[in-house]
Amino acid sequence: MATHALSPAVAAYRGGLYEWLTTTDHKKIGMMYVLNSFIFFLIGGIFALLVRSELAQPGIQIFTNEHVYNESFSIHATVMIFLFIIPMLAGLGNYIVPLQIGAPDMAFPRINALSFWMLPLGGILLLAGFLTPGGAAAAGWTSYPPLSERGALASPGPGQDLWLASLVLIGTSSILGAVNFIVTIFKMRAPGMTLFRMPIMVWTVLVTSVLVLMATPVFTSALVMLFIDRNYGGSFFNPATGGIAVLYQNVFWFYSHPAVYVMVLPAMGVISEVLPVFSRKPLFGYKAFIFATAGIGALGFTVWAHHMFTTGAVFLPFFSLMTAAIGVPTGVKMFNWIFTMFRGQLTFSTPLIFSIGFLTMFLVGGINGVFSAAVPVDFALHDTYWVVAHLHYVLFGGSAFGVFAGIYYWFPKMTGRMLSESLGKIHFVLMFVGFNLTFFPMHMLGLSGMPRRIADYASDAGWNDWNLVATIGGFTIAISMLPFIWNVLVSLRNGKIAGDDPWEGNTLEWATSSPPPPYNFDRLPEIRSERPVFDQRHGLGHGGHANGGHDDPGHDDAPKSLPAPGAAS
Amino acid sequence: MTADAHALTATAPAVDAHAATTHYRRGISNTILGMILFITSEVMFFSGLFAAYFATRAANSGNGVAWPPKELGHVLDPLGPILIATILLITSSFTCQFAVWSIRKGDRKGFIRNISITFVLGIIFLGMQVFDYTLLFGEGMTLGSGPFGTTYFTLTGFHGAHVFGGVLMLGVILYRGMSGQFSSKHHDAVEAVSLYWHFVDVVWILLFSILYLIP
Amino acid sequence: MSSSPRKRPASEAIVAGGVVVLLIAIVAIVLLSGAGRSLYPPKAATHEAAATSGLYDIVFAIAVAVFLAVEGLIVWSILRYRRRPEDVDLPPQTHGNNFVEVLWTLIPTVIVLYLFVVSYNTLNTVDTVTTDPDIRIQAIAGQFQWQFEYLDAQGNHIATQTKPNGDGGGMAVPVGERVQVTLTSHDVIHAWYVPRFLFKRDVIPGQTNKFEFTVNEDEAGQTFRGQCAELCGTGHRVMLFNVVAMTPSDFDAWLQNLIAVENATPPPAPSGAPVLKEEAKNISFAQTTLQAPANAPFVIEFTNSDPSSITHDIDIKDSGGKVVAEQDTIPGGTKQDYTYPALPAGTYTFFCSIHSNMTGTLTVQ
Repeated sequence: MATHALSPAVAAYRGGLYEWLTTTDHKKIGMMYVLNSFIFFLIGGIFALLVRSELAQPGIQIFTNEHVYNESFSIHATVMIFLFIIPMLAGLGNYIVPLQIGAPDMAFPRINALSFWMLPLGGILLLAGFLTPGGAAAAGWTSYPPLSERGALASPGPGQDLWLASLVLIGTSSILGAVNFIVTIFKMRAPGMTLFRMPIMVWTVLVTSVLVLMATPVFTSALVMLFIDRNYGGSFFNPATGGIAVLYQNVFWFYSHPAVYVMVLPAMGVISEVLPVFSRKPLFGYKAFIFATAGIGALGFTVWAHHMFTTGAVFLPFFSLMTAAIGVPTGVKMFNWIFTMFRGQLTFSTPLIFSIGFLTMFLVGGINGVFSAAVPVDFALHDTYWVVAHLHYVLFGGSAFGVFAGIYYWFPKMTGRMLSESLGKIHFVLMFVGFNLTFFPMHMLGLSGMPRRIADYASDAGWNDWNLVATIGGFTIAISMLPFIWNVLVSLRNGKIAGDDPWEGNTLEWATSSPPPPYNFDRLPEIRSERPVFDQRHGLGHGGHANGGHDDPGHDDAPKSLPAPGAAS
Repeated sequence: MTADAHALTATAPAVDAHAATTHYRRGISNTILGMILFITSEVMFFSGLFAAYFATRAANSGNGVAWPPKELGHVLDPLGPILIATILLITSSFTCQFAVWSIRKGDRKGFIRNISITFVLGIIFLGMQVFDYTLLFGEGMTLGSGPFGTTYFTLTGFHGAHVFGGVLMLGVILYRGMSGQFSSKHHDAVEAVSLYWHFVDVVWILLFSILYLIP
Repeated sequence: MSSSPRKRPASEAIVAGGVVVLLIAIVAIVLLSGAGRSLYPPKAATHEAAATSGLYDIVFAIAVAVFLAVEGLIVWSILRYRRRPEDVDLPPQTHGNNFVEVLWTLIPTVIVLYLFVVSYNTLNTVDTVTTDPDIRIQAIAGQFQWQFEYLDAQGNHIATQTKPNGDGGGMAVPVGERVQVTLTSHDVIHAWYVPRFLFKRDVIPGQTNKFEFTVNEDEAGQTFRGQCAELCGTGHRVMLFNVVAMTPSDFDAWLQNLIAVENATPPPAPSGAPVLKEEAKNISFAQTTLQAPANAPFVIEFTNSDPSSITHDIDIKDSGGKVVAEQDTIPGGTKQDYTYPALPAGTYTFFCSIHSNMTGTLTVQ
């Protein structure tokens, strides 16, 4: 039934360079998104290592020019947020969403290619700042004016303008991508794929796209206004000429808070695909999960000012209440995930391990976020390393672990070959340990008063030990990338042949070959639930009884290691 | 404007994917839905600018301080040339809609006539805005001349850029229409461009109201 | 027919339960040990900080409880429900349960509402501005220095503390009295942050922020570290200040002394002392080399040509890095004659104490 005749392995993707550069195939574009994002992940990581090296001990060791230090953490954050997490998740969505809804491609394939190519261009623009006199943007990834305005002691050089131009470009890419996702999801679903039969991954991409569509243009307006201020003598944000400094923060966070959910919802989608498959159970509370996702998306627009509690310019009780409230749907999701594993039959393959890493780290990131929702506590913690700990627990411990879960889960589909399980587990252990070594001590640093964005600190402030631990952890994370990269490179050529459905998946992408043909499907299974492939495997949705039989000849070359260990499946 | 949607039954054990997915789902076409979503994002973009306008205005007026500043008040006469420009743009929204109705009925001549008028009105509007700008520059009002100049030129400038984009789109569908590419069944691009043109028009009505009419 | 009930050795459940107990034990040990103390904020130094600290304890207790409960569930699920060789049949395909969904929506709702109410109550203690504080101070932030103006009840200037920290520096406040701080900035956004006050507030140009605090009576004689907490440029990390707590009588004496120093005319430069010239402009010195005679006092006629919000001074350190002469900063647009003591021959570095990039070489021969 599956397209067994097609060559299953990498060969299908060894088209010429020209073919890759001009492709409008969502799968190739998705893979380019992933590769591009991973390259920027490494670049952002190098900046992080520089910052951590400087902070390992008191005194100035590396950045004799402290402006370069400010450039480093500014570009680190900008790259990680706008060129790694957001496009990485968009890339996974690009590859997976059309497959999961049984579509041959995205709704607008050429706009899809355009969206992708804006990203490397935006990245180059951003990094080109380092070549300009005055260096790259150095006002933090938030770039609050008046510091980001033009001025001798503010941001005199063109680096800040390049930062603005780059983010307008990346933002436009996101908006076009969001339009494309929404139209694809509403218009291109296969017959039988009703909205409430869509995989959770598709739902999270849908909600994310709505957030991008509503929030990113507002961010673009802030960037444009700052650009006018800097280059045409505008007076939007500069109090010296009648502007309002806090106005930028309001507009910026109106985008950047929803952007946090843009950065985490698709990762939650990945987790919600992985956990059921490796628990051999459906997702617990499918509809509750969808409502929680939509709830997070809606509430996400009402909490932006919790980044501004200390400005003295926002109405504290409202934003405090809303911030606390957003914890509720997040809690609902957490319990749904755990109860998916509960009474299941867990197989600890790498995707599941990374998903469990996501659960535990995101739990910490959610809980330490509640501290900041309590406004008086936020007065103490705001802009200290506590916040750095919180945001990394959410965005690295959450999103990045989710991204790796997704890569380990879908790599066989993308390439036709399996990644090595043992290297994957080494990767996980190093990354998990390194992550916690790096970011947990930041709670202590923040509580004892270490502010963000400083290149040096007094040696008697009591911050030496935890900073050293954090730096050691940072390098452990860097080392953890080596087994991963090695794993990918080796497995591309010599990995075990995956077959159509190596994990016994639930969703439609496992109903076609690995990698799928350019048009995705020869035939689709009947879609009567959110687990069409599961239903097909187990006899049309009469769940609960496994017949164990495979009526699909495509399964013959599936690895034999996956069925229960020791059991004849 | 409905595509030939298919009510596919899901009773067969497996469905021919090709047949299924190459057909439109029922309802609105991809192009029009895409345009509606794109316009949504544009609405949010202008919301950001409008929010900035009102915040700046609130911070720079009251307590006897006039908005717009006294020395610029007289150049913003709502009954001046800008009223003519406004009427022309509103008219163009109507002619654009007439063009859509024409092509829905398959009236290609009516379509080309109406879209041509819309196209020309758009260009005249742009010309009048350029003329208006030269007057304001003559009064010494620029992007850099304080909060009012900054917000005025940013709002009207971005609107003008959108009108320019809309005129380009009108040009494209005019050309395609003249080469006979649209019919009563196949004219999604016309519907999409007309939606965009109405959006540009509505933004202008808002701009005209807040910049010229609200004292 | 659903899958047959699986039989597991009882020891499995015991192991799983044991791990959860172990998890609780580890967390308990960490919390009660020295490392655990660093998970609490520093000792509160003001009445307001005590309220915040109390709120922190409540949030922390709930956080630990939620963490243990959820993490315990995760660990238990992982240990208990591993797939085993005999697991050929599917487990029960539970799709959900509305009752538990409602339950775990309601319980977090109750928790967050409770947290909101207690934090709102604390906020009213921490963030209240009165009309009749005992002491009024205007803290002025500029790149990259703090300055504290003491005001009377009408807001008139009494005295200015230009030295934010170090010997004789810092914002002095009397313990037990209500201090109101007004924050203003001339350039970019800064933030006034004292860790032991558990409090910070942004200093935003074009906007005046106010807050109040009362230092605990038993803190007299203490010096509290403070620091700018909002990125404000290259010198962000050097924007340090101290808050010095004094008994009310010590504070009065200190303030009188500050007024006296401010009114005193600077001692005239010794006549005949050589006069050097230096100018600061665009955050750099006009001349980066100066020469002075050895073993004789000398004067530098210093002009600060930067905007008024930017302050500079000229301090001197020897080749070993020891500061041998310190001067007070002056704001942009002003001039001052700095008098320096006699220096032995050698090569020195002169520098602006505010802007680390402003340095030059002073040759004394």
